[in-house]
Amino acid sequence: MSRNLIDQDFGSEEEDDDFNPAPAEDSDNEDVKATHRRRDEDDDDDDDADVHTGRTARHRAGSEDDVRGRGHADDDDEEDDNDDEDGEDEEEGDEDEDQDEDEDEDDDVNPRRPAKRRRRGGVLSFVDTEAGVDEDEDEAEDEEDEMEFGGEMHPDDMDTLPVGVETDDRRHRQLDRQRELAASMDAEKQAQMLKERYGRNRAAATDAVVVPKRLLLPSVDDPSIWGVRCKAGKEREVVFSIQKRIEERPPGSRNPVKIMSAFERGGAMAGYIYVEARRQADVMEALQDMTNVYPRTKMILVPVREMPDLLRVQKSEELMPGGWVRIKRGKYQGDLAQIEEVETNGLAVTVRLVPRLDYGLNEDIGAPAVDPKRKRPGMNPAVARPPQRAFSEAEAKKKHAKYLSATSGLGGKSWSYLGETYVEGFLIKDMKVQHLITKNVNPRLEEVTMFARGSEDGTSNLDLASLAETLKNQTAEDSYLPGDPVEVFRGEQQGLIGRTTSTRGDIVTLLVTEGELAGQSIEAPVKSLRKRFREGDHVKVIGGSRYVDELGMVVQVKDDTVTLLSDMSMQEITVFSKDLRLSAETGVDGKLGMFDVHDLVQLDAATVACIVKVDRESLRVLDQNGSIRTILPTHVTNKITPRRDAVATDRNGAEIRLGDTVREVYGEQRNGVILHIYRSFLFLHNKAQAENSGIVVVRTTNVVTVSAKGGRATGPDLTKMNPALMRNGAPGGMMGPPQRSFGRDRLIGKTVQVRKGPYKGLVGIVKDSSDLQARVELHTKNKLVTIDKELLVVKDPITGQTIDMSRGGRGGGRIPNGASSAPQSAWQGGRTPMGMADSSRTPAWGGAASARTPAWGGVSSSRTPAWKQDGSRTSNPYDGSRTAYGGGGGFGSRTPAWNAGARTPYGGSGNSDFDAFAAGSRTPAWGGAGSGGRTPAWGASASNGNKGYDAPTPGGNYSAPTPGAYGSAPTPGASAPTPGGWADSAPTPGAFNAPTPGGPSKRGGYDAPTPAAFDGAGAHSRPYDAPTPAGAAATPGAGYDGDDGGPRYEEGTPSP
Amino acid sequence: MFFLKEEIKVIALHPSYFGPNMRDYLITRLNEEEEGRCTGDHFVICVMDMVDIGEGRVLPGSGQAEYTIKYRAIIWKPFRGETVDAIVTSVKPTGIFTLAGPLSVFIARKNIPSDIKWEPNTVPPQYTDHADQVIEKGTSLRLKILGVKPDVAAINAIGTIKEDFLGPL
Repeated sequence: MSRNLIDQDFGSEEEDDDFNPAPAEDSDNEDVKATHRRRDEDDDDDDDADVHTGRTARHRAGSEDDVRGRGHADDDDEEDDNDDEDGEDEEEGDEDEDQDEDEDEDDDVNPRRPAKRRRRGGVLSFVDTEAGVDEDEDEAEDEEDEMEFGGEMHPDDMDTLPVGVETDDRRHRQLDRQRELAASMDAEKQAQMLKERYGRNRAAATDAVVVPKRLLLPSVDDPSIWGVRCKAGKEREVVFSIQKRIEERPPGSRNPVKIMSAFERGGAMAGYIYVEARRQADVMEALQDMTNVYPRTKMILVPVREMPDLLRVQKSEELMPGGWVRIKRGKYQGDLAQIEEVETNGLAVTVRLVPRLDYGLNEDIGAPAVDPKRKRPGMNPAVARPPQRAFSEAEAKKKHAKYLSATSGLGGKSWSYLGETYVEGFLIKDMKVQHLITKNVNPRLEEVTMFARGSEDGTSNLDLASLAETLKNQTAEDSYLPGDPVEVFRGEQQGLIGRTTSTRGDIVTLLVTEGELAGQSIEAPVKSLRKRFREGDHVKVIGGSRYVDELGMVVQVKDDTVTLLSDMSMQEITVFSKDLRLSAETGVDGKLGMFDVHDLVQLDAATVACIVKVDRESLRVLDQNGSIRTILPTHVTNKITPRRDAVATDRNGAEIRLGDTVREVYGEQRNGVILHIYRSFLFLHNKAQAENSGIVVVRTTNVVTVSAKGGRATGPDLTKMNPALMRNGAPGGMMGPPQRSFGRDRLIGKTVQVRKGPYKGLVGIVKDSSDLQARVELHTKNKLVTIDKELLVVKDPITGQTIDMSRGGRGGGRIPNGASSAPQSAWQGGRTPMGMADSSRTPAWGGAASARTPAWGGVSSSRTPAWKQDGSRTSNPYDGSRTAYGGGGGFGSRTPAWNAGARTPYGGSGNSDFDAFAAGSRTPAWGGAGSGGRTPAWGASASNGNKGYDAPTPGGNYSAPTPGAYGSAPTPGASAPTPGGWADSAPTPGAFNAPTPGGPSKRGGYDAPTPAAFDGAGAHSRPYDAPTPAGAAATPGAGYDGDDGGPRYEEGTPSP
Repeated sequence: MFFLKEEIKVIALHPSYFGPNMRDYLITRLNEEEEGRCTGDHFVICVMDMVDIGEGRVLPGSGQAEYTIKYRAIIWKPFRGETVDAIVTSVKPTGIFTLAGPLSVFIARKNIPSDIKWEPNTVPPQYTDHADQVIEKGTSLRLKILGVKPDVAAINAIGTIKEDFLGPL
């Protein structure tokens, strides 16, 4: 009986199970069964007494009632289900989540009720099944009832026919048919049917994989989640004890724990656990008497909307073995570490570090035992933490042998030292994730190279590709700027080439420039992009390595790495393409504050240096003595701004300027372009030299010109040969050296008119004068005023005409006394006749050898200053303005020139005849001047014969052509005012050569600054610094006996 | 690549030059100033002829005359990918410095075939493959220009000999 029932129930359960109810046969079948049952009962009846029948009937009725009641109960149940699935879910409480989910999916796919039904499996299904035996069963029963009733109603029929005959027959036939059907179905179908029937769980799980996510979100129908307070830090413990409790009181037990799930949120919500349950009371009950959790305090009901957030996993940085992290604190703070292993819970990792050990070498042996009150030794890691170095067991053994022990594990030998493990020189350490910096690690190449495990052949097998991968993940969006050429190297659009147009977050929009998609704009994630460079591109390193800000040209591109040739150091640098940008800058970048490479800086009063390298905080400089030093920017006194017009003279006396190419004469014969001129030092830049950024320091006397900048002729400058231009072009021409020393100022006593200023237009007489100023007694006011000589114009007291003082300059004082004589006109006011380094330039005295050279006295040639034949008196105007004084260093150029004729009157007293200057030769031939060939010599005839003046020539012997050589003053004028009278051999007129004359008339600078040598007695020659105007009048024939460089009149020095 | 290019130059002439030889002077000056000049973009190799020497205009204030000269010049503009012959000026461990006419070209170590090795111990130092290829100062090379970097008044280039048919001649 009960078996039957059970069978029946099964059947009905199965029916119910299928969403589409099984064919009617089933119910027929049941009917059949029912019939059987009835027959049995009938048999019983037959066999047994009425009592029996009654009992059975009662029993049957009871059972039917039972069934029916259950059916009703089930109905109720279902209704409940429809309202809320309370009962159902309670029963499911024990089911694990996965299944739950699957079933939820089922629910979503299928109408609710049948799914619920289906859920019941195992033992429960029995229980439930009874409830499941619903309408069909009822119907069957009803039928039976009917039949029975009918039977009872028609006893005659029953009598005539065997009991239950017709039904029996029908049922049998049905059964037969069914069997036939079953037999006719092929095995496969049968199997499938069986599977449908019995294999529902798995089948359901696989069928419903694709479900829109939003349908999975919790709704109000789902259990609620309560947040329960617990002891902070014990969250996990509580959850575990809940789990334990559930194990003890599983659902279905007498007192099941009626919660669905419990979880905690870790650090973000410390002090709370979350429990999923239908009712708050369930939660209370489940957590009752549990330690560390306080369900009695206010529970928080999590709103449905926020439920998903509770389980949303903060996508933590995915740590992969081989990846890079940094240590947050401790001795290794900031150090790069490589992940060796990640524990499955993702909370702890094993990292590999380059150890910082001092092996006890810095321990103070005498120190008292560690005072526990003192700070822990590890507390000040920043102070003197040992450098990163591979672990060395040898060193560890020295002092700490007792702490060292070797263990050989699977992966090779490892050392245990002071409680830490060292493998292959690296420290292997377990760390918690929260002690690691996992974002923006930005490992630098040099850091990473420390981790490169050296292989046997000494080459490191650093996996650049994986490193690049790591780095790429941290690519800052700003590393892609609009216009960068990029390439998509992975993903669907692999191979596309374009230029970025914009970036937004991790998405870069690029305009495709090549291929079929050219012209289209597509978006790609930063991760799939890399910058694209071609060989020969000029790029700048923008980050990611110590080469930041380096500029260079790409020489090789290999996947992600680009090798470039630094503009500055000519070194090859390999960096990642992401760290590069195309550079529009043409110059060398790399500035430290105001300092730039190749700048000239003053280190102290006597030292200047050229910056050869700019580091982050220091400068590398090459000083004038050729030594390299590293200094701090603060050590620089000031930066010397280059002067465009700085001029010096080379070994041959040729003018050299910035930008000229010169070559060393002695030594390594290096050559280079002049970057700076500082006194007698040149800083050259030689591209072919890698050291010192190609900077070389040389002395001016040790170089010869290779080529001048911009094709400037090193020969005569046509422009400057034009006397007309000279006049305009000699700004210094008006400036004279002070003339005080030359005796009475010619201006004194003259009638002058004031050109400018408050006294403009007034006329007066000069009463007294100094170098620059004159005391003028004004006619009008009868008072003495001091006025700059510059502002005075000499007037004829009678006619009021302006007297041309051009030759002498405005300052009458400049005019040598003796100069009054005619020749002056030929001088063009002071353009010096100059001896050029070049013979051709040199005007020859009288020697009119070269066409250009004006002859002496050759009044005809306008260019040449003529020398007045009478010799003695003539003033030698030196128009030095243009002269390059090498010695002047950068400043030389400005040497004030002597102004016209004025300055040096020299009268060789006594010797009237010099015929010629030894024109031309660079080296002035100095008759036997002891000093050496270069010295410009007077062509001195020992007696008083003719002397060649070779004036302008730079003296070879003087190391510097510069006047500075002689004297302290760099200025040409320095030695200047030598009076040219020589006592020695009387006859000789002074030499002039003045320092010269860089008259504008000559192009090419005058190297002249050379002083002339004077060969007096043949035996002692004296170089005179030419610039000296000899005050003819004042010091006519003043002889200087001294062998020293000749007298100098410091005061006469024109200031630069 | 060489081009014949028409260019214009303005020369200001001081009045003192005004006279019969003015034209010669202008030509001299043009040749002097232009030939061999590097603009940062190209080199002026040679001034071919003057197309037109305009009339001088006196500049107010200075009295100088300004001449606008149109001339044609042969210029050389080095291009990326151009193959040129050059002479080695120096060899360094980092690479080879060469001069292709007025253009200095650097060949980095990376752009030298790997079989041609740096050999510092010879005098003078050289790059050699220990066979028939020896690169030392003065060697003629055929190279390909990889990149050109214009500067204010100079052009720097890098080149390669790491390709077929390139290398010492």
